[in-house]
Amino acid sequence: MTSAYPDLRAEPASFRDPANRVFHRGDDVLRGLDGRAAADWRALVGSDFFTALLAEGKVCDTVETSPAPPGWAAVLRHERIPFVSHPYEWSHGMLRDAALLHLEILQAALPGGFTTKDGSAYNLQWRGAEPVFIDIGSFTPVRDGEPWAGYRQFCQTLLYPLLLGAHLGLDFQPLLRAQVDGIEADQIRRLFTGRRRFRPGVLTHVHLHDAMQRRNARSSTAEVRNQLRDAGYSRDLAVATVRGLQRLVGRLDRPPPASHWIDYQRTCGYTAEDRAAKERFVAASLTAGTPTRLALDLGANDGRYARLAARHAEHVVAVEQDPGVVDRLYRELRAAGEQRILPLVMDLADPSPGGGWRGVERASFGDRARADVVLALAVVHHLAVGRNVPLPEVVAWLAGFGRPGTRLVVEFVHPEDPMARRLLANKLENTFPHYRRDEFERLLAARGHLEERLHLPSGSRTLYRVVLSG
Amino acid sequence: MDLLAYLDAGSGSLIVQAVVGGIAGVAVAGKLYWRRLVDRFRKQPTDRH
Repeated sequence: MTSAYPDLRAEPASFRDPANRVFHRGDDVLRGLDGRAAADWRALVGSDFFTALLAEGKVCDTVETSPAPPGWAAVLRHERIPFVSHPYEWSHGMLRDAALLHLEILQAALPGGFTTKDGSAYNLQWRGAEPVFIDIGSFTPVRDGEPWAGYRQFCQTLLYPLLLGAHLGLDFQPLLRAQVDGIEADQIRRLFTGRRRFRPGVLTHVHLHDAMQRRNARSSTAEVRNQLRDAGYSRDLAVATVRGLQRLVGRLDRPPPASHWIDYQRTCGYTAEDRAAKERFVAASLTAGTPTRLALDLGANDGRYARLAARHAEHVVAVEQDPGVVDRLYRELRAAGEQRILPLVMDLADPSPGGGWRGVERASFGDRARADVVLALAVVHHLAVGRNVPLPEVVAWLAGFGRPGTRLVVEFVHPEDPMARRLLANKLENTFPHYRRDEFERLLAARGHLEERLHLPSGSRTLYRVVLSG
Repeated sequence: MDLLAYLDAGSGSLIVQAVVGGIAGVAVAGKLYWRRLVDRFRKQPTDRH
């Protein structure tokens, strides 16, 4: 390390392409480029299509800076993505919009003489509800007569998950979370048998693709590239393939289902007075201390409080377990052009673990989520009673999302509350002797300064604001 | 040397892209397979010697 970069930290997710690598320095996101990647970058930054994509915000804002870190020919500085998320935390609509953006970028690049080296869902991130292409190192000059090298990756991490959702009504998140390289053609074809094989995109992109992979397993890609070029594969054909994929992905919609959580706001038993008091309390908590850069809304449901938080915070991450609820929220936010609220799908009792190489390539949710304000509204009883997580564990877990000074806004639903009673009724009597308000307050007070307490008018819920200490 | 190949693009995944590219693409894939077939017959006599 030179004195210009005494504290350069390599990004664990950036190692697969040796031509470039992402580093962090404080809040800066940097990318080292080798000699050829630096030449590609300079051609790219002079191209009209890339300038247009930058201006439209479709690729992450990037400038060349200096000096290059040791071992690299050049260095870029990228815009900082407010919160890094993984495709298995996205809803169907989010993955579909990410896929469409990837294809749009490729479609713009090809006539400009560029392609992308890969086609991964991990090439995309979010500014709130707006997707953005982040892998600037992926752009490379296209060679005529060659198909897209990223097609297989596109299928595995974007197209196949969308086929599962749109054609079979299956959630893709568990499979993408389990397999860092996505879903193989050989896996998904077993789900598309009988008449299902005739659903849009399945016969070609799944069955034919799988058969071709088997039959050509012993041919090298260099050999096949030459054969395709000799047989007349053209750039026009590459463009037509991308256009076909765009049409297909456009059809792979999965409207969010009506689910009980969607009606939660109406059925959960809050009175109008409760809701007004709760909103005032949350709003006051967001403005009570230093300005909020990142607010976490754990158990965001329809996003009511995430939206409220976004009035006072730079960015809000709204986490909710139900993929349909997240998808509905995402669609509303996207339609409104919201760039500060990121909705994510996650079971809070089973948050994203570390994944990929050595379990650090895809950072766990716990490692990524550090917030200035943490909202945990009507969520503690679901964990403590619904999922049997001991109350001290729940409080320790919430405190883990903060630093000293973080404001924790948490709602405790008393055991007498109808919602808590409904959950308790499913468990043996006296399973949760410690699920009591006094015990909860004692645990909160041990984590910091209990600044505010508000009993909601209907009497069975209490809100707390705790400023975490060190 | 292959410039694009930090990633294994997959031989089958390259060919299938011709097929999904429409009629012109199917023709390219057909030509590729025809040439492979012709090459196999051409090579066989010399292989025996």
